[in-house]
Amino acid sequence: MKLAPQGSARGGVKPLAPFSGRVSKIALRLVALAILDAFALMFLTRLWADEVWFLAVSVSVITLGLNVFFLSDRFYPFRWFSPGLALIILMVAYPIVYTLYISFTNYRDGNLLRQNQAIAQIENRQYLPSDAPLYGWTAFGTEDGHYALWLVADDGSMVFAPEDDAARVVTADDPQIAELDEDNIPERFGDYERLSVFTVPSGFETRTFGKPPETIKIETQYKAGQYRQQYVYDAAQEAMIDQATGVVYTAKRGTFTAPDGSTLSPGYYVPIGLDNFKRLVTSDAIRGPFLRVFMWTFAHAILTVLITFLFGLGLALVLNDPIVPARRVLRSMLLIPYAIPGFISVLVWRGLLRPEFGVVNRMLEDVFGWAPSWFADPVWAKLGILLVQLWLGFPYMMLICMGALQTIPPELHEAAKVDGANTWQRFRNITLPLLLVTVGPLLIAAFAYNFNNFTVIRLYNQGGPPIPGTTTPAGHTDILLTYTYRLAFAGQRGADYSFATAITLVIFVLVAAITLFNFRFTGGWEEVSESV
Amino acid sequence: MKTRSAWLSLVLVATIVLSLAGAASTQAQDDAKQLVVWTDENRASIVEGVGAAFEEEYGIKIVVQQMAFGDIRDQLKTAGPAGEGPDILIGAHDWLGELVINGLLAPIDLGDKAEEFAPTALQAFTYDGELYGMPYGIENVAFFRNTDLVPDAPETWEEVGEIAAQLKEEGKAEYGYVIQIADTYHYNPLMTSFGGYIFGLDENNEYDPTDVGVDSEGSIAAATWIDGQIEAGLTPGEADWDTIHALFESGDAAMIITGPWALERIQASGVPYAISPIPDGGKPFLGVQGFMISAFSSEPLLAQAFLTEYLATEDVMQQLFEAGDRPSAFITVADAIEDPDYAAFAEAGAVGQPMPAIPEMSAVWTAVNDAITLTFQQQSDPADAFTTAAEQIRTAIAGEE
Repeated sequence: MKLAPQGSARGGVKPLAPFSGRVSKIALRLVALAILDAFALMFLTRLWADEVWFLAVSVSVITLGLNVFFLSDRFYPFRWFSPGLALIILMVAYPIVYTLYISFTNYRDGNLLRQNQAIAQIENRQYLPSDAPLYGWTAFGTEDGHYALWLVADDGSMVFAPEDDAARVVTADDPQIAELDEDNIPERFGDYERLSVFTVPSGFETRTFGKPPETIKIETQYKAGQYRQQYVYDAAQEAMIDQATGVVYTAKRGTFTAPDGSTLSPGYYVPIGLDNFKRLVTSDAIRGPFLRVFMWTFAHAILTVLITFLFGLGLALVLNDPIVPARRVLRSMLLIPYAIPGFISVLVWRGLLRPEFGVVNRMLEDVFGWAPSWFADPVWAKLGILLVQLWLGFPYMMLICMGALQTIPPELHEAAKVDGANTWQRFRNITLPLLLVTVGPLLIAAFAYNFNNFTVIRLYNQGGPPIPGTTTPAGHTDILLTYTYRLAFAGQRGADYSFATAITLVIFVLVAAITLFNFRFTGGWEEVSESV
Repeated sequence: MKTRSAWLSLVLVATIVLSLAGAASTQAQDDAKQLVVWTDENRASIVEGVGAAFEEEYGIKIVVQQMAFGDIRDQLKTAGPAGEGPDILIGAHDWLGELVINGLLAPIDLGDKAEEFAPTALQAFTYDGELYGMPYGIENVAFFRNTDLVPDAPETWEEVGEIAAQLKEEGKAEYGYVIQIADTYHYNPLMTSFGGYIFGLDENNEYDPTDVGVDSEGSIAAATWIDGQIEAGLTPGEADWDTIHALFESGDAAMIITGPWALERIQASGVPYAISPIPDGGKPFLGVQGFMISAFSSEPLLAQAFLTEYLATEDVMQQLFEAGDRPSAFITVADAIEDPDYAAFAEAGAVGQPMPAIPEMSAVWTAVNDAITLTFQQQSDPADAFTTAAEQIRTAIAGEE
């Protein structure tokens, strides 16, 4: 073992490889890697058993990558990226791929399980042939681990059914019976001792007693009899066959369906191609209010950014002027709305504007004898949302504008003054263009954020007031995300996750387009700043 | 290079040893017989208490995991199929449709014990002819009145309207009967008083999703009545739950429909009140809570036996009643209730119907909430609003495949 010099990795010297450095250090690193691998391996076996393929692949890729990075000299620099890369794969790449996958399936209430889980559950069901007697049961066992059922029919007749032998009728005078109680259950029967339901081994309910064809099975805590498996899966025709009636339930989109339309639950999820996306485009119920919602989504995002920016900029300009007294105090106070969590402020606003006891409306009514109905009138509802958004958003805009204003060289203003430009001209031709260079990308980011601002609308008025006469429930202030939330989680059969993921992907594409536009647009602005 | 491969094999060996050790320890954990129970905060200590006695007797551990009541359903949907779920969970009967169609619950056989539970509670926990829960509590709303303003319980809604008009005229109270906006649950008793309904019943006494009654004659009559009250200024059109309770507690409103959960705040306000059944035989929704068994339980027999032998006792049911603020579903405990308020709730609930547990109900809430909102805000004609809602529900249920 040769010992390489320590700490010489900096400045072009050959970087530290895993096999150089002090033995204790190397050992520590390798042990850490081994522990990590062990955890990953355990996790992977679990995922493998649960058939969670996507996550298994992601975890394998991450683990392999980490091993390569830490064992090979060539990938030395990647060691510093590895935590970031691992997290990106786990928290960004994997969810996107998974969402994409789900959007091509029918994963929703009624089809939540995997195929093998659904089949196992349905195959677990039993039926009692109509002529077979029903019994109450008690478990019996010998010391060497043989088990049996003591069965008592409604008429009091007794049957003893051991696991390895035929069931037989027992009469009360049988010499093997010891201490028969009033329910016709003995304490002991030959070598067999009475057991309680709490002391039988795990999986007792899955055992069969007696000899075929007359095997006895437990159905519930109180019932046993010659139960038979009711449904048998036939992989060849992908169908469940009802053993009692012969009805064939064929798998249709993950649900076993009989010719008469009756179905077996649970269903399982299957790929359904582009159907979720088709439904988004073709369904009348969805298209009905869609255009309105779409327009308001844009209007809401644009107006929110515009008013918060203008108000924030105005305040920043005022606070930037040295003649304003106590600027620091004012600035701090104006930041307070930003410091209070949106969850709280939205609910406070909701209370303030409330029609019956709301402070705002009470005051307005006292002064003018009239107050707007913030939650009933479509126009006032929209204004109410914008008011709340203004309150939530202006401190941020003020903050970034103040920062940006500092970067504008004062010489430009002085030069313009000398040239005889008035205040407006100086603002319009110097401050605003230079400001937009820095603030522009943030404005577009704010637009993208408000495009999906589910929280504010959901908390403030749930998208209300409702639009009368629509094919599917929708509100005047619903944005795409709140509207589709209603569609996906208040559909015909509960939550429709796959449809929700399809919508999410469409919104993702929209927002991605906005971001792309953002890059292009700001690139253009940079040229402007160069020519100033 | 030699040392290098030595190190590599060290990593490999260490990895294998550690994994095996880890696997062995999880294996050991899995092998021990135990029951995992998911409960909410209020009931956790009761189940823990019973579990301690159970463990002492049979050496089988009862692991109580506590979570918010409403989270249990959503958690089960992900944890159940992944094999991480509970054996026993508590929940509300109206989760049944969603949980059963997703294959998350195992049927329960109460045997002779069934006779000890209120039949309506068992009916609520029955889905497609199978019992899926062992109930412990029933809750429903009832009609509250301010006894200073309204000494005698009104028998009909017409009477309610007359009382409201008179109180307003005499300047004794601002409002008569008040009801919150966009709340199908609290609106249902009024709707059913006039003969309206959400889903009709089929021949097996279960809800029939093809029979939507939101635009039935009775439903529209109810909407028209409340619309008239709002127009006359006898009911506020835009009040939420907090507002109507504040109005009732301050004496500004004379009558309200609410549930046992509001008793504490109404008593604290000091307003004199009495509880009676809904006028005109209105049927409040019954909400039943109980214990259910996960379809993914590895010990279904044990879980079932723990329910029937250890939890279905008068002593435990009494504790659950005291912890839960709702009348018991266990007959002997319910009969022993002396509190007149709970007795009155039980009386109002006698005509009640279980809240529909069929999955189609999820299409109802927003549609009917919207119809109520449009009517209350005087934005739509009540008949139009409720016809639209019914059409929205039918469209959603028909779906499109």
